Amino acid sequence: MKTKARYKLTVICALVMATSGLMMAQDAPKLTDPEIASVAVVANQIDIDYGKVAIKRSKNKEVTDFANRMIEDHSAVIDQAVALVTKLGVTPKDNAVSQSLMSQSKETLKKLNSVSKKDFDKTYIDNEVAYHEAVIGAVKNVLIPQAQNSELKDLLEAVLPALEAHLGHAKMAQSKISK
Amino acid sequence: MQTHKSLVSKYLFIVAVLICAFVLMMGFKSSEDTYKPTRHTVTIFKMKFNPEHLVVNKGDTVVWINKDFYQHDVTEMTSKKWTSKPFNQGESWSKVITGDIKYYCDLHKVMKGTITVAK
Repeated sequence: MKTKARYKLTVICALVMATSGLMMAQDAPKLTDPEIASVAVVANQIDIDYGKVAIKRSKNKEVTDFANRMIEDHSAVIDQAVALVTKLGVTPKDNAVSQSLMSQSKETLKKLNSVSKKDFDKTYIDNEVAYHEAVIGAVKNVLIPQAQNSELKDLLEAVLPALEAHLGHAKMAQSKISK
Repeated sequence: MQTHKSLVSKYLFIVAVLICAFVLMMGFKSSEDTYKPTRHTVTIFKMKFNPEHLVVNKGDTVVWINKDFYQHDVTEMTSKKWTSKPFNQGESWSKVITGDIKYYCDLHKVMKGTITVAK
């Protein structure tokens, strides 16, 4: 029991660490459009990387279908973002928020790769729920309000319903896995 | 013994009844034959089927158009009896409606819609 409780605490801590960069971003200094573009690409790439681990490690169709969907949809968002910055002649600029996201994702990837096969599905889906909740908060409260270019703002607004659909899908998978 | 006059009036009455029956039959037939099935459009945009709930007549066609930059599909919800298979932005898929339908996007399971056949 003690080991299980300790494990749960570790998972919760890992999730808090993974999402704190985005939550902190709400108090972060103002981001420029090239910085927002960078955060958007990095945040999408992180979920693609999590999905690739899930496909490699999970045998649960619910989980692998969800992971494949994340790879497809977040790749589509990156394609749109790249097309937009190319059109606008903007180069995404690395910044404190995108760097923080990257370093925290490394920790989560380490966790996803090392957790036992038995616990993998729950760890992955729990992280997806927490990650999408955090990203939705950041897009709504930080990236959209701070974006200056109207096309960049439109793209972020177009991405929001997809993130919400992913969160709903992740919660459905979470309730099936925990049964 | 019937008179010539009564025979004519009887004959005219029968002809009138037959004409009425014929007109009535043609009336019913033409209303069925002249109904032209309608095409309805459901737009898929921002992860929603729009309109989510649609009422059509039996035999009408519904066309789903994907305006998102994500793939979507249209799949029968209760037992996946049929599916459009995934289609991309700018592509569409259509189905002739023969009964009430509950459907969803199997790729994004929170996206749902219904088609109801008018009574």
